[in-house]
Amino acid sequence: MSPQEQHGARRSHPRSHRSRTPRLVALAGALALTSSAALATPLNPAPQQAQAAGDRVLTVAVAQSVDSLSPFLAVRLLSTSILRLTYEYLTDYDPGDAHPVPGLATSWKPSADKLTWTYTIRSDAKWSDGQKVTAQDAAWTFNKMMTDQAAATANGSFVGNFREVTAPSPTQLVVRLKKPQATMTALDVPIVPEHVWKKVTDFSKFNNDKSFPVVGDGPFVLTDYKADSYVRLKANKSFWRGAPKFDELVFKYYKDQDAAVAALRKGEVSFVAGQPALTPAQAASLKGQSDIRVNDAPGRRFYALATNPGAKAKNGQKFGDGDPSLLDQRVRHALFMAVDRKTIIDKVFQGHAVEGQGYIPPRFSTYFWKPDPGQELAYDPAKAAQLLDQAGYRKNADGKRVGKDGKPLNYRVLCHATDPNDKAVGQYLKEWWAKLGIGMSLDCLDNVTDPWLAGKYDLAFDGWSVNPDPDYVLSIHTCAALPATPKDTGATDNFVCDKTYDELYARQLAEYDPGKRAGIVKQMESRLYDLGYMNVMAYPNAVEAYRTDQIKSIETMPRAAGNIYGQDGYWSWWSAVPADSGDSSGGGSTGVIIGVVAGVVVLAGAGAFLARRRRATADDRE
Amino acid sequence: MTAETATGPRTLAWQRRRRSMARFWRQYRTHRAGLVGLAALALFALVALTAPLTVGSGVTGVTDAPGSPLQAPSGEFPLGTDRFGRNLLGLVVWGSRVSLLVGLLAAVLSVVIGTVVGITAGHFRGAYATVLMRITDWFLVMPALVLAIALATVMPHSLGTVILAIGVTSWPTTARLVRAQTLAVESRPYIERAKALGGGHWHIMSRHVLPNVMPLVLAQTTLMISSSVLTEATLAFLGLDDPTVISWGGLLQDAREAGAVSSGDWWYLVPPGIAIAVVALAFTLCGRAVESVLNPRLGVAR
Repeated sequence: MSPQEQHGARRSHPRSHRSRTPRLVALAGALALTSSAALATPLNPAPQQAQAAGDRVLTVAVAQSVDSLSPFLAVRLLSTSILRLTYEYLTDYDPGDAHPVPGLATSWKPSADKLTWTYTIRSDAKWSDGQKVTAQDAAWTFNKMMTDQAAATANGSFVGNFREVTAPSPTQLVVRLKKPQATMTALDVPIVPEHVWKKVTDFSKFNNDKSFPVVGDGPFVLTDYKADSYVRLKANKSFWRGAPKFDELVFKYYKDQDAAVAALRKGEVSFVAGQPALTPAQAASLKGQSDIRVNDAPGRRFYALATNPGAKAKNGQKFGDGDPSLLDQRVRHALFMAVDRKTIIDKVFQGHAVEGQGYIPPRFSTYFWKPDPGQELAYDPAKAAQLLDQAGYRKNADGKRVGKDGKPLNYRVLCHATDPNDKAVGQYLKEWWAKLGIGMSLDCLDNVTDPWLAGKYDLAFDGWSVNPDPDYVLSIHTCAALPATPKDTGATDNFVCDKTYDELYARQLAEYDPGKRAGIVKQMESRLYDLGYMNVMAYPNAVEAYRTDQIKSIETMPRAAGNIYGQDGYWSWWSAVPADSGDSSGGGSTGVIIGVVAGVVVLAGAGAFLARRRRATADDRE
Repeated sequence: MTAETATGPRTLAWQRRRRSMARFWRQYRTHRAGLVGLAALALFALVALTAPLTVGSGVTGVTDAPGSPLQAPSGEFPLGTDRFGRNLLGLVVWGSRVSLLVGLLAAVLSVVIGTVVGITAGHFRGAYATVLMRITDWFLVMPALVLAIALATVMPHSLGTVILAIGVTSWPTTARLVRAQTLAVESRPYIERAKALGGGHWHIMSRHVLPNVMPLVLAQTTLMISSSVLTEATLAFLGLDDPTVISWGGLLQDAREAGAVSSGDWWYLVPPGIAIAVVALAFTLCGRAVESVLNPRLGVAR
């Protein structure tokens, strides 16, 4: 397999990384949230308050917790975003159109046989402890991932095709490949300092969160971290591209998005991350506020309905219990043709999304593909009914569609209990499919990973963030991504395994001409569309908001209309300019005042009540 | 007197019951709060039972929702619309069915478990009772809500799960109460007489103990319903309910997920919240009144 994106990670059904957190923990959190979401937030001392006055602090409210701060283990969007900020990669993506631009490497070129890549490493980059960054650091990082299984956990697929990585000089890195690989300028691997990391013994356990500050070479230096609470970063004044304008960057964890929005209103945080996106109601109410800007930009995610193609492992063993009727392409198409995507955009996303077409969102215009009119599975319930009739699933006397075995069609749809959109779209699906005569039950779980990996679902809500280089999101539908045995975990998204698709995948990976490669990628999208296992319903926008009295300007990616949180790079936080009147601790004190006033009122009420009661009992005694 | 001799024991028993019912009602009538609670309950029951006629099940449909999302209250939608554009007044009316049903069933389940445990523990004593009471104590010290949440999480999200989760976690107080009453009843001499006449365990428990603890059970059930309604709303609010079913707690959860709290769309939050509070209050008022009528000790104290 090939270079991977970890970045977008998924909102969806994560593998090992969306951890097997005991559900009770989540529950306890949920419990705590109901009682304290509104109260505790303003009273909770913000980490930045401990800072000396005059420091310009940018506080970002995030809804995700950190899985690991080790570049070799981290896969979540927040963690990989922090790694982007603290470790420079070989190449970066241009904030304008996402073409590769120099990062740690100033230039790169493949050999004539396409198998050897030579990178020139910049000589003006320094680690935060003063040592120079050399090609040897990069070579060590890649070699570690190639030799140590534990170090390959997060980014191992980038180096799967590497034969040898060497550093002939401090400014030259040479990578020899087994096969041509088109993604050599999109290696999203944080390069770590050898002199620090060679002391690490067990990469599977080292989370890089014990000794601060963490030695890095990005625009920010990691200075403090508290699990499920905050991550604090300090500006790296000697960053080669230029120092960030803010002195400090704090990612503060809010379990409840509504609480984060309230904190933004109060000025307690400068930014609310659009992951998950702000709801239409939140966005609408924030738009009317002064000093707050809502950034509603085309997102990098697709939101799809995945169909279980009969889960199987690489050894051919079948597992799971997907409904066999879904193996019929006509049934899959019929199901999707009964889905009115326009209504989903209008009602559920209320315009904060774009109607789904091909696999890759239109934001990546190079790779965006949409079906021909003849191929398109447009909303057409009558045709869907016709397709089901042809497939042999006719309506019985009760109006239910039954198969040849006489059993009515009834599908389980796996949904994320934490995602309001899943539940909302699920209710629409239920009614649309009921009209077709198909029953459906919505299985909303806090942890969808277990049934997903076991193939125990019929359909499921699915979604991925797509990188400028689409290789990773394409690779998860190849046969090679299937788990080795039913007990293993593969990189596969939805157990899709199709020969035609696999051939196209191999061809695009070996194609160094961008235009030709894009053509092959579009063919792959077309094939995936026809198969009907991945039905893209929408491309949700990134809806996020920030205080303009704290952040004067901040760069989006793409520059014209793009997201701020979760970019493919450090552009947003690196470019953010503080507003002069930025006072981020004002909200805390008002919160305290409100709390005190509320407390006094409650006490007074209780006192009055007690006094009355005492009098009442005295009367009774008489 | 001839008429009375002609009637059998069964008729006599019925007459006695009717008389005691009339006595009960006379005493209940004197509790004004109880009457208010009863009236509120009757109203809610009426609304819930007639919901299919007044609002119809179509009110829950999302595909043919009449309004646009999150409209403020207006003439057309007296309580505004929800995030799908559905009529909130209709949803609150429709939601009463699930909230009341779950509250009722969960309370009944809980009281049945509690009564069975209490009576058997009081009757059999010995090692059996010790073990059972230790289990009861364990459930008593466990925070019931946390336990219910844990149960509702591991099981599929559905109404049955919620009923089970509430019922299984809230029985211990009933068990304790019923056991105490059972012990008191069983120490009376007539139980000994019944035993001497050959009454078995089942006969004693069902014919002598159960009728005597019944008033207590009835009062306990009424009180339990109010806490069950609240717990149901809590679980639904935490998203542990079936998301496609409309209930008051579920409406609150929808409102929270839609971001209605921070954007100030009060009409999404206030009606279901008030409905939950009023129903819980009504059941508590009734329960208190029933309790003070049936429990002679409470009656004297007042």
